Amino acid sequence: MWTIYFLILLSILLGLGAWLLFVWTVRKGQYEDMEGPKYRMLDDDDE
Amino acid sequence: MAILKCNHCLLEFPETEAVYEDFSGEKKVFCCNGCCGIYKLVHSEGLDDFYKKRKWDDAGIASFKKEIDIRPFAEHVRDVAVSNQKEIDIYIDGIRCASCVWLNEKILSRTEGIEYARLNYATHRARIRWNPEVIGIDKILKRISSIGYNPRPYSESEQFKRQKAEARDLLIRFGTAGFLSSQLMIYSVALYAGYFQGIDINLKLLFEVIALILTIPVIFYSGMPFIKNTIKGLKHLNFTMDSLITIGAGSAFIYSVYQIFVGGKVYFDTSAMIITLIILGRYIESIAKGRASETIERLSELSPKEARLVSNQQSVASGDSPRRAISSQEIKIVPISSIKKGELIQVVPGERIPLDGIVVSGESEIDESIITGESRPVFKTAGHEVIGGSVNLYGALTFEVTRTGKETVLSGIIQAVEEAQTRRPQIQRLADRIVGYFVPAILIIAMATVIGYFINGSPSHSALMAGISVLVIACPCSLGLATPLAVMMFTTMASSKGILIRGGEVIENTSKLTNILFDKTGTITVGKPTLKEIIVLDPGQDREYVLSVAASIESLSEHSIGHAVTAASEGKFFPVSEFRAIPGKGVEGTVDSKKIIIGSRSLMQESSISDMPLEETALHFEKSGDTVIYMAWDRRARALFVISDVIKNEALETVNMIKKLGIDVSVVSGDNKITTDTISEMIGVKNAISNASPLMKKEIINNVQKDGHKVLMVGDGINDAPALTEASVGLAISRGTDIAIAVESSDVVLVRNNLRLIPHFIIMSKRTFSIIKQNIFGAFFYNIVAIPAAVLGFLHPIIAAGAMALSSLFVVGNSLRIRKFN
Repeated sequence: MWTIYFLILLSILLGLGAWLLFVWTVRKGQYEDMEGPKYRMLDDDDE
Repeated sequence: MAILKCNHCLLEFPETEAVYEDFSGEKKVFCCNGCCGIYKLVHSEGLDDFYKKRKWDDAGIASFKKEIDIRPFAEHVRDVAVSNQKEIDIYIDGIRCASCVWLNEKILSRTEGIEYARLNYATHRARIRWNPEVIGIDKILKRISSIGYNPRPYSESEQFKRQKAEARDLLIRFGTAGFLSSQLMIYSVALYAGYFQGIDINLKLLFEVIALILTIPVIFYSGMPFIKNTIKGLKHLNFTMDSLITIGAGSAFIYSVYQIFVGGKVYFDTSAMIITLIILGRYIESIAKGRASETIERLSELSPKEARLVSNQQSVASGDSPRRAISSQEIKIVPISSIKKGELIQVVPGERIPLDGIVVSGESEIDESIITGESRPVFKTAGHEVIGGSVNLYGALTFEVTRTGKETVLSGIIQAVEEAQTRRPQIQRLADRIVGYFVPAILIIAMATVIGYFINGSPSHSALMAGISVLVIACPCSLGLATPLAVMMFTTMASSKGILIRGGEVIENTSKLTNILFDKTGTITVGKPTLKEIIVLDPGQDREYVLSVAASIESLSEHSIGHAVTAASEGKFFPVSEFRAIPGKGVEGTVDSKKIIIGSRSLMQESSISDMPLEETALHFEKSGDTVIYMAWDRRARALFVISDVIKNEALETVNMIKKLGIDVSVVSGDNKITTDTISEMIGVKNAISNASPLMKKEIINNVQKDGHKVLMVGDGINDAPALTEASVGLAISRGTDIAIAVESSDVVLVRNNLRLIPHFIIMSKRTFSIIKQNIFGAFFYNIVAIPAAVLGFLHPIIAAGAMALSSLFVVGNSLRIRKFN
């Protein structure tokens, strides 16, 4: 039985981590330019 | 003559004008020195990749601004707290694809002193950070304009900031609800499985309690805006979408909490999902709206806010040669708001007249079409009145301000717009209208269920729970997605075509259209004088030759009619000597050792030209609103040029397409009756109203709409603004440099000057609206079908989850069909 309790706890902690990451990305404004990253990743930067 | 294509701007041009330049052995060709300069710069920075990467092949003219006024930028410069740097946000105009963004970023980040340069691919906004000890803002702006782009100051309006904060808030609420709902699903599925194959009673209780804990923040944090709105609406017995959501999610929550205690089945997943999907819908809506309004906001920032004040009026007024007196005066650039009546303002060619006034000196032609609808430029000299907002075309003018602030003609129009805006009824959306009936109906069914159970002798708590279960199943989760998804698909598709839409209400109104009103000048017609016809009077002359000679002479003139003639020729110019412009009358010059005169009839009579064509010939054209000018040499009239504001190529086709849709077409114009009638007739419109002032246009629309008609107004000028606001749907055609009040007061903006987009927009709206109707039907259908199960007490979490999943899939799948509408 303890495995279930452990897994429940683990899943909730992982989820919480993902949620905190999400809130951080919103605050950093990462959703404001949805177009840019797909071009930037293809751009070989020589600097 | 060979036609070449510019290697930079892709413009096609005749070989004679080509500029050649060698680039590491490769010969490149350009249409002008400006383009060549840009290519050189891009090449020297090793950024030639730009030309390979860019995705467009239609020509665009690079902007060459000689001077950038840095004052409007300076006030937006910020200090960066940590380092010693400065930062600014600006717009960069002229960006057409990802390569343009790339080029700008590279050029900027390679400039010494610039620490950071980032452009937003979607909004073309740049954030630049630099070291003020190495480089100044002026140099940075010059750098951008040196590669053919146009930097513009950027500031967010309060309304826009609010909108952005709201979208961000919704995103966090949605993300939270989505995260919790997905966690919740793990336990719900385990519970579902338990219903069929049995589950340990303690484990069931544990899962139910975890589900309860996960649901609480979804309802009381993510769902808080809905709860607040419901409480507000409840006071007026006003049932909106928000009340339906609160009732649905709330009853599922209360029902489930009760069921935990009696050991029944819980509906926490239903409760959380309703809220999650609704917030997703709201978020989608806010981005769809935000995108269009960001562009519209940028278009509306173009109005003049400063003017050239001529100081020391005394010597101007007393000087006998006012022109010279002014040129020696000091000219200061001041904000318009600080200008007082009686002060003198100078306006240079191409500038907008900032305020109303009377011309003191100078002469020019003024394009008043945007204020009055009059298509022909008006000649102005000392003593004439000028109207703020009109455009000074060719010469410098100095005028005395007679009206400022709220008294100006322009302010009067703006007031009319504001007045129409406040009177404008809030359109209730289809989904909200249905909800208005649906909620009371559901409440009645729920009450009836409770009463029914009581009569049958059920205990009070189970009767109450049966009633609540009706509310649980009746709430359609996907209703919140039904409209926003379709609107989002529609706005995305429309904006890729150059149609910007503000909000989803526009779609509903457009799909029910009965009448469409077109403005004339600039909407149906091109909005500037164009050569329509040449009549060669001398049989010995070749038409091409006559045009080339006329164009050669007129190319030296700054007059609008001259421009029309020059633009019509194919670029073969003769050398001209002894050119002279005769103000208000015409021009003369010597070509092929012939002394040629081009101008009005009175100029011909003054120059005693014989052989004049009969007045009737000219009168025929003048009657239909055209301007006729004559060309003569060796004392004989040789040709007649008919110049008018021509109809756009696609106008007739557009009108026919709209008529086919069963919509009544009319033309309203501020121009005179003859011109308006002639143009209307040519595009097959019977109903034409001429001499209409801005307020009259608004009244006309008001009268038509009184009978329950839905009117679409199409316009482009300030004079259309009140009408655009008054109409059910206001559609503005953006001419780029115009004062943006027309854009501000409309619901739809065409960024491309192509009338064919209008019938396309109407058809798309009709289709999208029927998709929305189907979506709403689909959203309700599965839930309504399940209501009898709840009434009879057969409600099961699987039924609720099934109704939710089926209706959501239907709505999403159906909305995606909009993509295939092309």
